[in-house]
Amino acid sequence: MLLDELRRSWAITIKDMKIYYLRPPALMFGVLFPVALFFTFSIGRSMPPERLLPVLAAQTVFWSASSIGPTAIPLERRTRTFERFLSAPISLISVLWGKMMAGFLFGLGITTLATGIGVVWASQPVLNPLAFAIGIMLSAMVYSAMGILFASIPTGSPGEVIIPLNFVRIPLMFVSGMFIPLDQMPKIGVYAAFLSPLSHTLDLIRLGIGRPSYFGSLSNIGVLIVWLLAFLFVGQIFHKIIMKRE
Amino acid sequence: MTEMKAIEAKGLTKRYGDFLAVDHISFEVEQGELFGFLGPNGAGKTTTIRMLTGVSTPTQGEASIMGHNIVKESVKAKSLMGIVPDISNVYSELSAWENLTFTGKLYGVPKAKREEKAEDLLKRFGLHDRRADKVEEFSRGMKRRVCIAMALVNDSRLLFLDEPTAGLDVKSVRVIRKLVRDLNEEGLTVFLTTHNIEEASRMCDRIAIINRGKIAAVDTPERLKSAMKTSQAVEVAFTEVKARLQKRLDALPSVREVQKRGDKIRLLTEEPSKTLKEVWHFIEENDLDPITLNTIGPSLEDVFLQLTGVEMEAEIIHKRGGRRGAR
Repeated sequence: MLLDELRRSWAITIKDMKIYYLRPPALMFGVLFPVALFFTFSIGRSMPPERLLPVLAAQTVFWSASSIGPTAIPLERRTRTFERFLSAPISLISVLWGKMMAGFLFGLGITTLATGIGVVWASQPVLNPLAFAIGIMLSAMVYSAMGILFASIPTGSPGEVIIPLNFVRIPLMFVSGMFIPLDQMPKIGVYAAFLSPLSHTLDLIRLGIGRPSYFGSLSNIGVLIVWLLAFLFVGQIFHKIIMKRE
Repeated sequence: MTEMKAIEAKGLTKRYGDFLAVDHISFEVEQGELFGFLGPNGAGKTTTIRMLTGVSTPTQGEASIMGHNIVKESVKAKSLMGIVPDISNVYSELSAWENLTFTGKLYGVPKAKREEKAEDLLKRFGLHDRRADKVEEFSRGMKRRVCIAMALVNDSRLLFLDEPTAGLDVKSVRVIRKLVRDLNEEGLTVFLTTHNIEEASRMCDRIAIINRGKIAAVDTPERLKSAMKTSQAVEVAFTEVKARLQKRLDALPSVREVQKRGDKIRLLTEEPSKTLKEVWHFIEENDLDPITLNTIGPSLEDVFLQLTGVEMEAEIIHKRGGRRGAR
């Protein structure tokens, strides 16, 4: 039964990969935006590679993985293809899981490419590949689920999902140690940073390149898992509420 | 033992805030039936179909598909049906083949079976030659056919069609109507919503007329028409119209009203066979030469207008015992 649901879910993932990976909103916010942000952050500032690479990897996975759900679901609402899932013999959680995996794989692919280029360009070795891989993979799941949660907004326009999502994504970058390192933040900032999943992504990637984790790897993984479950759970509830209203 | 109903709706209700879109409707659809759901725009047809297919959750009431409750046993109920909504919700970026096989995967149809089924359906629906083309290149009629084919990949026993021919050209309409009739003849139960009276009259075994969220009547097209006794008539035309002819015809016992329609005289009656005999007797007695002599029944349009225009008419049909299946 579970295997059957996973198969159906995977079919949704493959379909989304074929249809939405090259859509303008996905490319704009999933590829162009993190690259532009990275150059804005790094050009003209002489920062060491061990500071730049985690920022590149963390913000790429953050933006790319969270861009597929908000592109795919509103477009499917507009063409009413999303109704196909609601009238098919598949649970809502499996549908959302399939969509989340599409975002996860997009985030993983784009981040691997960007980080690979970064690693070679900066000659920065990955000393703890496990922490590095967990940091990127788990984060891709979390941010993809975040995108799915925001995509519960009942609209046929990706822009109407992406704009409120950006109201969350952009402030998160300021409290997550991206621009100001965590050890230089005031105490209140550190508390806020602990609650932000992006801080833990950054922390795990830093650990991956041989730097110490500020919050500790177990805290990083724990917080990311809590966020993943929260996004999935709340996302499912919101999608169900919208379904009842429709 | 009675056969399980294809659809059983009991007190189905949908409310959007203060607006009552569907108001406690109840009806049954037998297996193998081609059931029409006829109503004007905004009557609640699409809302009903969305509740029956599990896309929307009823505010009140319940519905079952082949005995499975659409809310409580949704996976089982949904696996038995195919849905064609009022717009062709196909994946334009995918080919016809990919659309069908993806739907098969979504319904858990094993690979060999879904590919065989997709192949068969594409051939049957005249799309096999274009199977590898992206659907965005297809005409509206072809997209509609892809959409119907997608609804059949899972060997569905019940097909929901929401306005299947709306906005299509005459040729596509004919093709789709024939396909639907053929599928029904092969045993598929069809639930068809339409605002096209002619379509409902020609295709459906039974029709439910819905207006302002309420079911006004459920019956066969012919029984619905015959229930409208006030709209029945006998029409006669003569080679020569003699003086006072209209007035003399009006004096026939069964004639309620006489209307002049071009070169014809229409005699409104509630007993057309009796009127026909009286007119024939009148012709012989007065040595008249008739050109045409016809009985004219009410059209479904008459029924529809009466039911949707004047709510009391629904009650008249109800009292005459014309509402089979509606409660």
